[in-house]
Amino acid sequence: MTTTLSSPISKSKTVKVDLAKYRDQILPPIIGIVGFLLIWQILASTNLIRLPGPWDVWMDERSRYLILHPLYRNSDLDQGLLRQTLASLQRVAIGYCSAGLVGIALGILVGSSVWMNRALDPIFQFLRMVAPLAWVPIALAALRRNEPAALFVIFITSIWPILINTAVGVRQIPEDYINVSKVLKLSKTDFFFKVLLPSALPYMFTGLRVGIGLSWLAIIAAEIVMSGVPGIGFFIWDAYQQNYVTEIIVAVVYIGAVGLLLDRLMAALQAKIASR
Amino acid sequence: MSALVNVEQVEKSFGLPGGQEYLALKGIDLQIHQGEFVSLIGHSGCGKSTLLNMVAGLSLPTGGVVALDGQTITAPGPDRMVVFQHYSLLPWLTVRQNVALAVNAVLKNYSQTERQQIIEEHIDLVGLRHAADKPPAQLSGGMKQRVAIARALALRPKVLLLDEPFGALDALTRGNLQEQLMRICEEHHMTTIMVTHDVDEAVLLSDRVVMLTNGPGSRIGNILTIDIPRPRRRLEVVNHPSYYSYRSEIIYFLNQQKRIKQWRARKEAVISRHGLEKVNLDIGFVPLTACAPLAVAREKGFFAKHGLEEVNLVRETSWRGIQDGIIGGYLDAAQMPAGMPVWMSLGGGDNPPQPIVTALTLTRNGNAITLHKRFYEQGIHTLSQLKAYILDSPSRQLTFGVVHPSSMHNLLLRYWLAAGGIHPDQDVVLKTLPPAQMVANLTAGNIDGYCVGEPWNLRAALEGSGFTVATDLEIWLGHPGKVLGVREEWARAYPNTHIALVKALMEACRYCEDPAHQEEIRELLSRRAYLSTDKSYIHLGDPHRITCDLDTPMREYAHHQFFLGAGNRPSRTEHLWMMTQMARWGDLPFPRNWVEILERVCQVGVFSTAARELGIDVSYQRHPIQLFDGVPFNGEDPVAYLNSLPIKHDIYMAEVALDRRPLVLS
Repeated sequence: MTTTLSSPISKSKTVKVDLAKYRDQILPPIIGIVGFLLIWQILASTNLIRLPGPWDVWMDERSRYLILHPLYRNSDLDQGLLRQTLASLQRVAIGYCSAGLVGIALGILVGSSVWMNRALDPIFQFLRMVAPLAWVPIALAALRRNEPAALFVIFITSIWPILINTAVGVRQIPEDYINVSKVLKLSKTDFFFKVLLPSALPYMFTGLRVGIGLSWLAIIAAEIVMSGVPGIGFFIWDAYQQNYVTEIIVAVVYIGAVGLLLDRLMAALQAKIASR
Repeated sequence: MSALVNVEQVEKSFGLPGGQEYLALKGIDLQIHQGEFVSLIGHSGCGKSTLLNMVAGLSLPTGGVVALDGQTITAPGPDRMVVFQHYSLLPWLTVRQNVALAVNAVLKNYSQTERQQIIEEHIDLVGLRHAADKPPAQLSGGMKQRVAIARALALRPKVLLLDEPFGALDALTRGNLQEQLMRICEEHHMTTIMVTHDVDEAVLLSDRVVMLTNGPGSRIGNILTIDIPRPRRRLEVVNHPSYYSYRSEIIYFLNQQKRIKQWRARKEAVISRHGLEKVNLDIGFVPLTACAPLAVAREKGFFAKHGLEEVNLVRETSWRGIQDGIIGGYLDAAQMPAGMPVWMSLGGGDNPPQPIVTALTLTRNGNAITLHKRFYEQGIHTLSQLKAYILDSPSRQLTFGVVHPSSMHNLLLRYWLAAGGIHPDQDVVLKTLPPAQMVANLTAGNIDGYCVGEPWNLRAALEGSGFTVATDLEIWLGHPGKVLGVREEWARAYPNTHIALVKALMEACRYCEDPAHQEEIRELLSRRAYLSTDKSYIHLGDPHRITCDLDTPMREYAHHQFFLGAGNRPSRTEHLWMMTQMARWGDLPFPRNWVEILERVCQVGVFSTAARELGIDVSYQRHPIQLFDGVPFNGEDPVAYLNSLPIKHDIYMAEVALDRRPLVLS
């Protein structure tokens, strides 16, 4: 008797918990997004801003085609948005990975040697302050072709947070760990792989996470400026030239989504590797 | 046997931002032998961790040499493995990997399987088999420290260095780990140096406790050898008869360091007023009935009346505190046991001679010898009965408490025992304890009797834990009890203040002597600032109302005498007698220049001036001292007197030079 009585009670409890979770976790973002779209639509239809509202984006033939056909391909420069995004991401992958390798290596060097730090820190601090867009003409002048110049801009933009965070991580190895390795007379390689690297790892990941966001920002800017390469940045520029504002809006949604995805990816990686 | 670790004349200074240097340690000498457990204790910032780090090689001395096995230490190495306070385990490795990292890095010439075996053996040693594959983050603090200890021991270091290993642990865990560490160190005959803050931990674990003074320029203030047999158990060690004296020795040292620091921080300027060179005085006293003149002089305004407007009475728990306060210079003057001026002037207690002068005898009488009530119940009521008892039971040595080597209690007790044919150093044991701890030690059975000033004899009698076997009446009626003592250089620097101080205290003594004031003074002394004890234990006069015995009517009781006119004069004959007694028991050499020393210690001139100005008649006739055994002492030929005594230690004679450079405040 008791079992038949108790089971419906517990069931209703779990339902309640799920409801509560739904209410606390999922509802607020939905309300936020719907509210945002609503306000945007109102602003657009009352002509307070001269932008098409979300409804207009959906109703516009060109942009609807883009939304519904992300993978079409007519020519190098006329492709579906997913293809464009992938082309940009490829560039980011190359530029960002080389920035990661060089940044971590330089960061360890600067972090573990006071002398090197003194020699290089002013240069780093100086270069760090140069905006990604300012690198574009320099890169074009130096490398003469669009593709390597774009990679360089991504590289130079995303390397600084990686480098500086790694250096800090290396410098902040707890005194205790250093003392232990001194007392144990650990070999250089043992010290590097067993103490230095794991200890600086959380800092490196912080740098890498900031870096990937920056590199995504940089690629859009770079593609807009150096026309003629397939990619989502150039797509926006092209659409602007032809005054397809609804297309730009669809592309922007793609950009935001990819940026968010990249950051989440790095966060997950960071949690997995550096949490120990 | 030569030492394993040798620290010689080590000095360490650090550069400060701004180009200055901070001298952390200075002149450190320490030898540590194979298998010894040595603790370093001291206040924060005294450089004890620095000293440990220099043995580890993590920091190098700026002067002197630290050597292990005769090899100068220049770098860290696994033969001096350190266990740090914060465990310093690598958080990304498991327990086993942490131990393995160390073993694989250090024991390279062992085979893979041997290393594996060592790793597992040491994980078992600290009982962490169940946690071997967990990362440190999943372990409690105590477990982490056990891993650190296992890692250290697995390397078979010559010396194990522990830097406050249990400082971050809760009390229960700490206790368990202390026992484990002790067991492991004993089993492996590990030579260990430990830095600690914890006095009980130091006493429990150590063979020797090295106490460091406060920085800057810390040095070894004292080394205490803990003579408690091993194996020790945490809960049993406290019952060892010496445990609390070791403990209080260390605590005394630490408190003293704290006070020196406070005193240094204060560094009050000398305030001159009313033609007196210094009116702000710190005067030390020990809470005893005999401190009445000081209490009265302050509370009844006699200090202020003579211009000493800013007198601060400093309560010390032991005579040792008075001694250190006077030597350290943070007491201007003090109530002292009668023998202390001579004792300190002659360099008692292995100190350099520190000339002390006295211009006033504050009290006479007020002492007695108390025995445990057990003796009373066994019918031992006199000295000769006690002697017979000691002869009958040679297996058990009796222990007696005295308050300070220089106090009248020590000298009178020894004299009393010797007069009865008992050698005070061979037939019984004498132990120095603070006055206020006598009754507790008697009740606990740590001592069988004591000689101390009131109220502690009366208190034992009233509580029924002991009985008074002899009073002043039966030893030396009218013996000096406490005197006023100051450093000779102080007396030279502040002559008018000195006279004013003597005048104020003489008036206070006169006030104390008046029976009409007794009730008031008893109430005054029982206050927290003074004796902090029940009024019923404090008696100034009228002995006939008090019982001193367990069940029979009391023996005649000689109460304190505070004011006797000429009797307050510092008597050269009395001080000479004390000098002979100190030489008699080998405590100090008898000075060939005794006439000069007496002349300097007894500042009769200051006393006479003070008395004259107060209009007190102190005309005086010298007469020999008469003690209870009838042997007279007239002070004409002290050496012949010493030679005539039957029971004595070997007598040493020496010329004592008083005018060495005065000891600088340490």
